[in-house]
Amino acid sequence: MTLAADAPAPAPPRSARGAALDRAFEALCFGAATFLLAALGGLVVSLVIGGWPALSTFGVRFFVSAEWNPVTEVYGSAGAMVGTLVTSALALALALPLALGVAIFLVELCPTPLRRPIGTAVELLAGIPSIVYGMWGLFVFAPWFAKHVQIPLMTAAAPGSLWEKVTAGVPNGAGIFSASVILAIMILPFIAATLRELLLTIPPQVRESAYGLGSTTFEVIRKVSLPYVRTGAIGAIMLGLGRALGETMAVTFIIGNAHGFPSSLFASGSTIASTIANEFAEATGELHTASLIALGLVLFVITFVVLALARLLIGRQAHA
Amino acid sequence: MNAQLETQPETAVLDLPPEVVKLAIRDLDFFYGSKQALFGVNVSFAANAVTALIGPSGCGKSTLLRTLNRIYSLYPGQRAKGQVLLDGEDVLGPRVDVAALRARVGMVFQKPTPFPMSIFDNVAYGVRLYEKLSRADLTNRVEESLRRAALWDEVKDKLRESGLSLSGGQQQRLCVARGIAVRPEVLLLDEPASALDPISTARLEETISELKRDYTIVIVTHNMGQAARLSDHTGFMYLGRLIEFGETEQLFTSPVTSRARDYITGRFG
Amino acid sequence: MIAPGAPRLSRRLAEYGFLGFCWLATGLAILALAAILWSLLRQGLGGLNLDVFTKSTPAPGSTGGLLNAILGSVMMCAVAMLGAVVVGVLAGTWLAEYARDSRYGKVVRFLNDVLLSAPSILVGLFVYEILVAPLKGFSGFAGAAALALIAAPVITRTTEDVLRLQPAALREASVALGAPVWRTILHVVWKAARAGMLTGALLAFARISGETAPLLFTALNNQFLNLDLTRPTANLPVVIFNFALSAYDDWRRLAWAGALLIAATVLTVTIVARLFARESRPS
Repeated sequence: MTLAADAPAPAPPRSARGAALDRAFEALCFGAATFLLAALGGLVVSLVIGGWPALSTFGVRFFVSAEWNPVTEVYGSAGAMVGTLVTSALALALALPLALGVAIFLVELCPTPLRRPIGTAVELLAGIPSIVYGMWGLFVFAPWFAKHVQIPLMTAAAPGSLWEKVTAGVPNGAGIFSASVILAIMILPFIAATLRELLLTIPPQVRESAYGLGSTTFEVIRKVSLPYVRTGAIGAIMLGLGRALGETMAVTFIIGNAHGFPSSLFASGSTIASTIANEFAEATGELHTASLIALGLVLFVITFVVLALARLLIGRQAHA
Repeated sequence: MNAQLETQPETAVLDLPPEVVKLAIRDLDFFYGSKQALFGVNVSFAANAVTALIGPSGCGKSTLLRTLNRIYSLYPGQRAKGQVLLDGEDVLGPRVDVAALRARVGMVFQKPTPFPMSIFDNVAYGVRLYEKLSRADLTNRVEESLRRAALWDEVKDKLRESGLSLSGGQQQRLCVARGIAVRPEVLLLDEPASALDPISTARLEETISELKRDYTIVIVTHNMGQAARLSDHTGFMYLGRLIEFGETEQLFTSPVTSRARDYITGRFG
Repeated sequence: MIAPGAPRLSRRLAEYGFLGFCWLATGLAILALAAILWSLLRQGLGGLNLDVFTKSTPAPGSTGGLLNAILGSVMMCAVAMLGAVVVGVLAGTWLAEYARDSRYGKVVRFLNDVLLSAPSILVGLFVYEILVAPLKGFSGFAGAAALALIAAPVITRTTEDVLRLQPAALREASVALGAPVWRTILHVVWKAARAGMLTGALLAFARISGETAPLLFTALNNQFLNLDLTRPTANLPVVIFNFALSAYDDWRRLAWAGALLIAATVLTVTIVARLFARESRPS
């Protein structure tokens, strides 16, 4: 400590410009956050304004009629709404058990060296752009599905039976059910990843004490783990549902793009998003454009409710 | 025991002669939201001396330290009432430039907090905020600070390496070097050795003893041995109140209040 | 008789059935990934040649490549990321540093999460309404704006998350040296969180580089090479969409080649982002 003998120089003059810049920086950050809020607000307002001509022309009929006819200029959203809800519900029904299986596998069963590669693979599945899913669905999955699933099912159906009605359609592999399968593959990794995160939040002692009582893995999952993360898990499922509802390109490729109510599992149909994607750039008139934007408003309301519930549930789990 | 209690004062705070006082605290109350954490604290800290604050967890010793450089004002809802006079000037006043205040009153925290930058830049960080030094002067300042913090010999060949690459004890001495590089007048140490091993602790204590020649040092510690070894004055706090303050030797050998005696003899806390 | 400690048969069967199902589910997910990647490679590699990178999209019946679409996508993504990083980082910083417990902060955080998962086609409609219709023209900038609106909430979210992971003591240490808060955030907190923030930006980039729906009626398409973003601009996703559904074999081949390019980009960026994410966890 040879230098300790040198007394420090008198304190240099201090400047005060920091305070003003502090306020400026905070205002800048605040502005950016508010900008995002304004973007969401603007989105809603623009959909309402843009869709208003259609809503005021058709009134309630816009929501209950399935007729969508650019030639006669009559537009109703019921067909697309039903198509959206049916494909999303089917997709969820297919994806949920599988996603649970994957999540449980990754948390409970996976040998440690495989954990990272399989986790990455699931994440990559989530990362594939939806247009790639669309192409794969149309050119690879649909022909395979027609040959190995659709046609055998159709030929097996007795004439006049309910089964025949359910499986009726052009045997090309496109349609409501194929779209649901593709959607299911797309949302599976999202739900699985969120469920996995949730399962990892369970304190080890809770699971260990259940195992300590002689429970099998199945019993621990069913009676301890799943109830423990129930709220968040429902949120995760709704988040997946939200994705399925708004998914556009993959569905547009494979759903067949027919207006009106879908008549069977294998029939062509449409969703709100696929209708907008197909028709918006070439909309024939003001009313057509307005009707498509009004469709967008319907989609926004549906997804907003689902996503808001999902976030609230996940948030509650995080605080529990 | 009971008879003794009655003749003993509840609190006993030594008044320092005004000419040695660097920091004077007057009627200080502190609030976390609606919860009051300090109650009417009155005490003075002497220049070029080490003052230790001891007491059981939650007694308010760290809170008291955090009012001295107003670091608490980072958090909305925390506020202080009363006066903290640094050379006679109230640092709690509304027109005080808090950044400038903090440059005069340095602080070292419980856990080492090296910034994610090189060892050199860590030490130079605070200097660059307020002074435009030439490259050579800055290098000298960094070296001087590292020497005073007794770290120079260990890092002189790797000043460009990340501060995070050092061991815990070295990181803490780096934080001390960073704190004294801006040439503050007061140095606040908030349990600086609690995360360190015994050898690192001994080195840090050595550094602190050396530094007191030039600085007014206030150290919060729950290690009574450390307080006894390092400090000239000691304050004992309990439940947000300053119970006893005096010469360290006097406080540790013959405390006046029963609470301080009970704590020091290990009867509670 | 049941041996003590050995589960009854029904329990064992349920257990084995359950474990088998978990293995099967994971196998199916990996099979799906493998099938998609296999198709992409098989169909896409065949279509990849020098022309793809040197010629613009062809007129019906002639040969060509994807140069205009690749350039258009790169330009739009770059502009979009520029805007999204500025807005997202600042907004995330506000949420993490200034608005932890404020009510307005909670509202912003919640609605940002909604915006994060809102259907991207609606963002396209919004940008059409505010940029394309009033200015009477599709443009690359409109496309970039739509992509930016999709990327910004992702960056906001990840920025807030990683900034919150930084210990309070780090901020206090900087402020205690007399540094103003803005400098503390810029020079210490951002620096400490940079790997995580980069991860967020990469994930946002991966997300928008494959986005098609919001470009359909903002950037539209352009058959020719165009470096002027005020005009309709070709981009890979929309070209793939149009060509895949066309009747020409060589257009479909180009669509597969484009899909392979996009998927390779997205997957590479995702993997790189994961590597950064691993690094960014504070030790």
